[in-house]
Amino acid sequence: MSSEEVEMEGACPTDEIRIGVYVCHCGLNIAGVINVKEVVQYAQNLPNVVSAKEYIFMCSAPGQDLIREDIKKCKLNRVVIAACGPEMHEPTFRAVLEEAGLNPYLLEMVSIREGSSWVHYDNPEAATEKAKDMIRMAVARARNLEPLEKMRGEVKQQALVVGGGIAGLTSALDLAERGFEVHIVEKRPVLGGHAARMGQLNVEGRKIAGKDLVNYLVEKIKDNPNIHIYTNAEVSKVDGSIGNFTIKVKIKPRYVNNKCTLCNKCVEVCPVTAPNEYEYGISERKAIFLPFDGAYPSQYIIDPETCTFCGKCVEVCPENAINLDEKEKEITIEVGGIILATGHDPYEPPIGEYGYGLSPKVITLHQLKRLLSEDGPTKGELIIDGKRPKNIVFISCVGSLGTTPNANQYCSRMCCSASLIEALHIREKYPDAQVFFVHKDVRTYGKDESLYWKAIDNLVKFVRFEESPKVTVDKDEVKVEVKESTIQERLVIPADLVVLVTGMVPPKEIENLRSLFKVGCGGDGFLKEAHLKLNPVESLTGGIYLAGTATGPKSIAESIVAGSAAAAKAASLLSKDTIEVEPIVAVVDEDKCSGCGICVSICPYGAISLEKREDGTRVSKVDPMLCQGCGTCGAACPSAAIQQNSYKDKQIIPQILAVFER
Amino acid sequence: MSDGDGFEPTIVVFACHWCTYQAINLAGTSRMKYPPNVRVIRVMCSGRVDPQFVIEAFKNGADGVLVAGCHPGDCHYVNGNMKTMRRTVMLEKLLQDMGIEKERFRREWISAAEAKKWVEVVTEMVEQVRKLGPLKLAEKREVVMNE
Repeated sequence: MSSEEVEMEGACPTDEIRIGVYVCHCGLNIAGVINVKEVVQYAQNLPNVVSAKEYIFMCSAPGQDLIREDIKKCKLNRVVIAACGPEMHEPTFRAVLEEAGLNPYLLEMVSIREGSSWVHYDNPEAATEKAKDMIRMAVARARNLEPLEKMRGEVKQQALVVGGGIAGLTSALDLAERGFEVHIVEKRPVLGGHAARMGQLNVEGRKIAGKDLVNYLVEKIKDNPNIHIYTNAEVSKVDGSIGNFTIKVKIKPRYVNNKCTLCNKCVEVCPVTAPNEYEYGISERKAIFLPFDGAYPSQYIIDPETCTFCGKCVEVCPENAINLDEKEKEITIEVGGIILATGHDPYEPPIGEYGYGLSPKVITLHQLKRLLSEDGPTKGELIIDGKRPKNIVFISCVGSLGTTPNANQYCSRMCCSASLIEALHIREKYPDAQVFFVHKDVRTYGKDESLYWKAIDNLVKFVRFEESPKVTVDKDEVKVEVKESTIQERLVIPADLVVLVTGMVPPKEIENLRSLFKVGCGGDGFLKEAHLKLNPVESLTGGIYLAGTATGPKSIAESIVAGSAAAAKAASLLSKDTIEVEPIVAVVDEDKCSGCGICVSICPYGAISLEKREDGTRVSKVDPMLCQGCGTCGAACPSAAIQQNSYKDKQIIPQILAVFER
Repeated sequence: MSDGDGFEPTIVVFACHWCTYQAINLAGTSRMKYPPNVRVIRVMCSGRVDPQFVIEAFKNGADGVLVAGCHPGDCHYVNGNMKTMRRTVMLEKLLQDMGIEKERFRREWISAAEAKKWVEVVTEMVEQVRKLGPLKLAEKREVVMNE
């Protein structure tokens, strides 16, 4: 990492602080309420202000010219712009300062539009007074602003994609096709995530199997020389920052190598069975198994949790593909950007919720999808407890929309469409089956609305509830009791099969991911995008992008779009040789630092470390490329030794005092 | 206590850039009205707010101080707001020991979308502090010292 030191010395070009204040009319947005003339006159008399001017639109070309010329003419070394907030035009005015030969960080913007004229339009006098106060505070802060230099770091032109589901595979392929080397790390032994096991999907009225969609990507990926796939692997350590991450990956033993031809001899002799988690527990598997038909890599895997290491499989394997002594491996990869496509878990209802776990007649949507998949354990035949069910009741929003005490408040987006696809599938395949869709709401949004109408045409019976339905299990009998909210009548539906339409929840590993990659989570527990509209698919940490259901419930189509979007964002980083980083980072005054380490423990990014000085005492060091500039270390340091650039005590405290210097 | 006759309190607000400051902007673009008694200091994260800043504000004449940031679990900097929470819980006790009424210091989580909450919090706080009257910290100090 070659990053230039944050420039601290030579705080101002001359010793004398010379501030220019520019008050914008913003047409009538500001001037229609605030007495701009009065404000300018007031600003003119503030200490260190050598020039104060007004203009109708400061952001316009003539407005910018006015500031540029003033900076030169009045030899200004600080600029305060009273206009809108910094979001929109801070870059504009920073450029103006730069063009006039002034460091761009010697600018302070004060939002007298959003903060005063737009909210106090009924009281112009108070609005004018407030604007004066705000400018006085800004001038006080500006007085102590320091010039800063943007930092530059190298960019490694490789990417890490965590998660080999549909979103991760899409991201990896897009990046590889742009010419970047990509490393896919998948914790499961096979690629494809949930999409590979999702049965039929509705793509604008056409049916496509989730597995085929995954296979289409896998076929392209496995022959792409730019893509390295690590399955049964997990990221164990992340060091570095945007442009230059060092990643440690632990690859767990698979015990079966790629000589495996899937001949099934080992499976036949294996004496141990366990529920198959890849079939959502509806079928059994051996300790050596292929998670599902058509899984990639197409070789068996041994689950060390269930395997007794009896060695029978080794004896029968004709290819000598099994090695029970295989050990865990660790590899190190260096990448410039990271895409987290870590997906979701299906909501697992607690035992007893809507009768789940009390009867084989109560299953989840994911389990139903496996039963109806041609590659599933029953080869697509709907058989429950040895019989074909006649009365099938779907209950929607299980785990979503706050329907039960354990449920989440959000809508899981994909479940209405996904379950109506299967409802239609059942009605087509078994015309004598009765299908009830007991719902809180039908959210077959967008183009999937046609599914809803098709389901009505195909006599799926829609039953709406406000009060959550009750499922009673009495020996062999399962009944669904629901108060239909349209006809306001209580219905009791005897059911041969109850399908709980389960939504999505954050994966179990989310806490670990969060601390490993230093990315934030939203209130719903999913990973959080920096801004839903301004920075979608970007995480809150530079160089880390988010794709698929890692950020919240999505359909497969939406996950694919997010995968491509994250790849595009990552590509714009990876295509650069170096990257500029904002210098609003923490800096340490080594003379004041006692090496107590409070800042080290409080930093959410691990950007601070303690180093030994020559005399043996300890001192804090900040990695400016890792620091994201929150400033919380500055609030915690007992000796004010660590400070955040542009938000130092000497910049904030005068601003506080200035409130009262009326 | 003063009856607040003609008294207009000054409330110093420390607002984080990503949530509360954006809510203030949204209140602006939505032309929502609220009392003009607040003076806002923008920091990148509410976690930057040193308890000393709050004390400086009260010492120099603030009648109330509001520290506002992102909702728990929604911090732009992983968990800066949780640090604010811990620090301000301690600070609240200290301020009350100094004789500063608890209505004068508030910690609020206001997201970028919650312009309405911003308006409600500020309106309510200005109203409460107006009722309490000026802080008169020096007098309070004497009372506390004599106790």
